[in-house]
Amino acid sequence: MRKYLAIVRGTYMIGMIYRLGFLFTIAGNVIYLGVAYYLWKSIFKNSETLRGLTFDQTFLYVGLGSAIFILLKTYTDWFMNSEIRDGSIAMYLVKPVDIGTYFLATSFGSLLMNITIVSIPTILLLLFVFKVKFIIGIGLLLFPISLLIAFFISFFLDYFVGLVCFYSESVWGLSTTKDIIVTLLSGGLIPLQFFPTALQNILHWLPFQAIYHTPLTMITQPDQSVDVFLQMIFIQLVWAVLLFMATRLFYIQAIKTVRVAGG
Amino acid sequence: MDLDDIEHSFYNRQSLLFLFYFLGKIMSLIHIENLSKHFSILNRREGLGGAFRDLFSGDYRTVKAVDGISFDIDAGEIVGYIGPNGAGKSTTIKMMTGILKPSGGTIEVNGITPYANRIRQAQIMGVVFGQRTQLWWDLPVIESFKILKEIYKVDQKTFDEHMGLFNDLVDLKKLYTQQVRTLSLGQRMLCDITASFLHNPQVVFLDEPTIGLDISVKAKMRSVIKELNQVRNTTIILTTHDLGDVEALCQRIIIIDKGSVLYDGDIKKVNSLFGAYRTLKLQIDGYNDSTLQTLQDAFTQKFGPEHGIAIAATEEFWTDVTIDQARTPLADVLNFIMTTFTVSDVRIVEISMENVVRKVYDGALK
Repeated sequence: MRKYLAIVRGTYMIGMIYRLGFLFTIAGNVIYLGVAYYLWKSIFKNSETLRGLTFDQTFLYVGLGSAIFILLKTYTDWFMNSEIRDGSIAMYLVKPVDIGTYFLATSFGSLLMNITIVSIPTILLLLFVFKVKFIIGIGLLLFPISLLIAFFISFFLDYFVGLVCFYSESVWGLSTTKDIIVTLLSGGLIPLQFFPTALQNILHWLPFQAIYHTPLTMITQPDQSVDVFLQMIFIQLVWAVLLFMATRLFYIQAIKTVRVAGG
Repeated sequence: MDLDDIEHSFYNRQSLLFLFYFLGKIMSLIHIENLSKHFSILNRREGLGGAFRDLFSGDYRTVKAVDGISFDIDAGEIVGYIGPNGAGKSTTIKMMTGILKPSGGTIEVNGITPYANRIRQAQIMGVVFGQRTQLWWDLPVIESFKILKEIYKVDQKTFDEHMGLFNDLVDLKKLYTQQVRTLSLGQRMLCDITASFLHNPQVVFLDEPTIGLDISVKAKMRSVIKELNQVRNTTIILTTHDLGDVEALCQRIIIIDKGSVLYDGDIKKVNSLFGAYRTLKLQIDGYNDSTLQTLQDAFTQKFGPEHGIAIAATEEFWTDVTIDQARTPLADVLNFIMTTFTVSDVRIVEISMENVVRKVYDGALK
């Protein structure tokens, strides 16, 4: 465990060293929030609520969605792609570390980094510049837990794509497609309530909504009963476990191929 | 405890010691027997159309990267594992480090099979691949050492001791706060080598540790490796293209080519191959087709038929004269050439790895 904590710490420090880059991320986020604000303002021009959401709820959903997007963007798949392509992955294979846990640790380090440098400013912006009002409810308490599970789900998806690199030398296209699918179908861009009902029903059975929609619902509609939230967290957990097992199996198969076919 | 017990435990210890001694004799640290690694490689066709057809191609050929090698390496040895490019060196190293699974044969390092126990194996070995780094590129040097300390579960006291030793050897302290990516190649390699010894491994694999380094850094590197081997009794497997490394460090060398062991034994015997041989590169004025023959005749006339000088034209206008110094001293040959021919340029080079391998093929060690 301690060895992985050391890796988390190392990754966090790398983020600190390249802090300048985060200034641009924050600036970009401010612009995005501004655009989203006026876009949704005009959509809500003639009505108090749409699809059961008020403007405040929707903007909070979208604004926090962008914060979570930056938060969960830990580039595991890109990172693995370059490591596998230039063969540096061998340097991890000769260390007494589990490869999956190693990448989880680096991803978690980046997550902590993102929380410090990007997410906190975004929340402050939402509160004091855009004057978003939070609704108090039980959901707020469960939000951190839900977000943590969302991180795991997002990581496993990234890691899965990363493992594909063992077979295909470049996953640039796959990575980009995954990013778009995840952001769109998870509610990262548009609240899922605004999707057609038929599509919503399908999305309900996919893991993507567990990344953005679930934690965001806890923030934007926190005044529901505990049972509803617990059920949502349970579904998240199921996805996390399923994806964990899938990546494990895939890893065992991928590493076998590498060892037989050569790196 | 009565006398009987004491006597009893004494005998026990004696027999245990004997057992260990005996096991040490028969069990070497690294045991490789009939090891092979075959890759199937897709036969790729030319051009864009070929690339398309390759997508559905099942046309594989087998490449025998390592083909039935066997050797044993004892604890504390420094073994030079050499051979020309593509001989199978790296593939063997990758099997010894547990990255690759052999296609056949057995391999054991300290009694464990590397590929089946990758993590356990990793704990007892250190690896340096000259072309890569195990340090964290973006972080200051000391942070990489701290991370490795945790990864290998090295306790603080041992860690401080080791860092002290490294500091004495390579003056590491002044690099501590520097980012790894800003280090020079030589500094980075020194850090990489010291890092690979951090957890006091039983065996360290050094794959081309001196590649791209200048003479003075090479010398430093060699003395560090030698020192660490002596202080810690660490077994070292060194692959290199630089015969100087082998000469300076190894008592034993294993030469492989095309996946098979060509020579395994004392370096002294091989030393005569590259130690005694020197190649003179000459640029002779008025070079023409008959120059080689003229030289050959002149040497025979001057030094007798057993002169041990081989002549070959390698590049345009350059003539290689390889001299076996055991038979004819280099100085004599050089003198003779300078007085007999008009030479516009001379270079003296040590014999190359490819030439050593060629000589072994030609039966020089038989």
